[in-house]
Amino acid sequence: MLSDARTRSIVIQCGLVAAVIGAAALLVTTTFANLQMRGIPIGFDFLTTPSRIVISEAILSYKSRDPYYWAIVVGLANTIFISALVIAFSSVLGLIVGVTRLSSNPLAAGTCRVWVEIARNSPPIVLLIFLYSLWWKVLPPVGDALNPLPGVFASMRGFVIPAARFEIDGAGAALILAAMLLGLVAWRASSLRRFRSEMAWGTAALLLLGLWSADFAVSLDWPVFTGSNFRGGLELTPELSTILIGLTIYTTGFIAEIVRGGVLSVGTGQWDAGRSLGLSRTQILRLIVIPQMLRVIIPPLNSQYINVVKNSTLAIAVGYPDFLAVMNTIISKSSHSIEGVFIILGVYLALNLTLSSAANWYNRRIAIVER
Amino acid sequence: MKTISLPLSEAPAPAQAWFAPMLASLRRSGKLLFGSPLNAVLTLLFGAMLVVTVPPMLRWLVLDAVLFNPDPAACRAASGACWSFIYAKSGQLLFGIYPVDERWRPALVCLLILALLGWSVRPASWTPRLLQLWATALALIVWLMGGGLGLDEVPTSSWGGLPVTLILTVVAIGIAFPVGILLALARRSTMPAVRIGAVVTIESVRGLPLLSILFVASIMLPLFLPEALLPDKFVRALIALTVFASAYLAEVIRGGLQAIPKGQYEAAAALGLPFWRTQYLVILPQAIRVVIPALANTIIVMIKNTSLVLVVGLFDLISSGKAALADPAWPSPAAETFLFIGAIFFFLSFSFARFADFLERRGPASR
Repeated sequence: MLSDARTRSIVIQCGLVAAVIGAAALLVTTTFANLQMRGIPIGFDFLTTPSRIVISEAILSYKSRDPYYWAIVVGLANTIFISALVIAFSSVLGLIVGVTRLSSNPLAAGTCRVWVEIARNSPPIVLLIFLYSLWWKVLPPVGDALNPLPGVFASMRGFVIPAARFEIDGAGAALILAAMLLGLVAWRASSLRRFRSEMAWGTAALLLLGLWSADFAVSLDWPVFTGSNFRGGLELTPELSTILIGLTIYTTGFIAEIVRGGVLSVGTGQWDAGRSLGLSRTQILRLIVIPQMLRVIIPPLNSQYINVVKNSTLAIAVGYPDFLAVMNTIISKSSHSIEGVFIILGVYLALNLTLSSAANWYNRRIAIVER
Repeated sequence: MKTISLPLSEAPAPAQAWFAPMLASLRRSGKLLFGSPLNAVLTLLFGAMLVVTVPPMLRWLVLDAVLFNPDPAACRAASGACWSFIYAKSGQLLFGIYPVDERWRPALVCLLILALLGWSVRPASWTPRLLQLWATALALIVWLMGGGLGLDEVPTSSWGGLPVTLILTVVAIGIAFPVGILLALARRSTMPAVRIGAVVTIESVRGLPLLSILFVASIMLPLFLPEALLPDKFVRALIALTVFASAYLAEVIRGGLQAIPKGQYEAAAALGLPFWRTQYLVILPQAIRVVIPALANTIIVMIKNTSLVLVVGLFDLISSGKAALADPAWPSPAAETFLFIGAIFFFLSFSFARFADFLERRGPASR
């Protein structure tokens, strides 16, 4: 009977499913027995109780009497904040370094090559710890802070940069947001084409109403050095700055290699072909070279961006409270380890799936459409 | 027959000054550096950057540094790096808290692993005998590190430094390789339950940061397992690294499997080979050859990733560096120590990367 391929496949699959269920059941019973033995309660009720944990810095406001769920949100916001900045910085720098590596200038290409090799061959955690140890060696005490650019100060206590502060009224912001949404629908939705002009008028009206009621104001908050302290501006602590600089250096190395590969993948024949069609240099770049390059670059770039989110967990090495560090504190403080682990797994999977599905959507848009 | 006189120029060449070759190369590099406006701008920009950064770095690294003087006071006085600290503490940095009298054992283990790695990267030694060699070496390594049979026993909690990094890398990849092959085959299986199981496993592991997997392994395993079966910290980290490496290796191997044309399967079926023999004799040898460069890259990633085990309290290179820095007799030269540790990792992964380049240039290996 087992010689029949169909029967055999059904038997194997049933066996596998049974083994998985059996292992899961065994794990669950042992876990519950262990939890009971140690008197650990289980359930997500603890999330609404005051956490009393310390989060040393956060971009959202946090006080230690806030509930656990807010501590988690604050940690997640820190992770997203680091990841977004590192992705933005290293994309720009990676583009520059990658293209410069292809330059005929040996000085420029060589310097960029050293950067790429160092980034690609050292563990990011060692890079972060090394940079963190340099902080107090290289930078002066706050009293004689470096002032390389107007409004930018660097000292042992971190960077201080000018901050842009937006002031906007809630109702006005909501109206502007609604105008944006309506505008987006009018622009994209082809099935509503008949109502396009009405929607355009509606968008304009909403936008005007929103701007009128919003009391919109942007002010630049310039830091002022008062001899022992700074007034105004945005302070970046040594921990945050180390992570941003370190991860940017690291990720730039990888993105530069991706960009270089992308440029090299478009053959010189494509340039010749474009020139023979009478296109200008910028037209060739915009219409022929860049679209083909993007096709090669996007998939590896996407996995690099996901790596940035994953590498942001290394913040723990310098003591910056990212999501994983906050969760670790919560788990050791509340002893709700099972729930904590499920939250960790769920959040990272959700973050990375969101990123990769966004990239896949974009990838499908630029992929070759073969007819 | 008429002889054809070749137009060999017998005329003396214009007198070449001894510095002519130098002048020519100078002209060439001048053209490269200042040939176009863009190149000139780049040269000035990068030249200025190097002039600003290199001399202070050089002063700190070498000129103002304490190189050999084993006196902590010299380091306090100097404005440069304190390399004598690295020299004085090299045993502790490399081997962590391993008993001092027994340090020859981890040293031997490191040499053994590095020698074997060097031996294994030669394409000529890729034979089934290599596996036997590694298996023997592994038994030897465990005996040397752990003791027993005539050697003093050393528990894994006092293993540390470079051998921990090397053992974790080698063993994790060694176990993850067959597991990765199984996962890759499962993901391409026609049986839906098997395929879905493999996809869920691979994608969830790849969607998670290694640190979170290490945390889960150190937090959850004590809860999952009955107390008697609980592995120690070293084995827990090893399990996490192996799970992580398996998922990544599975995807690399799947790439190789996809590159095998259908005709190979059909030929094997025509010979009447059953599934496992088809895979073992026909498909896998070709598939793995195709992806050797990608495998080498994954191994580099794993070498770098083992540095993360410090956050679950394992005594790897970074933690032993931190422990050495805690000595109050020295001025705590943290930057030098981490530069040294970074250099070790750089050496390991850079040499492996050059090897991967060599494989890539050689093209897909064929028998």
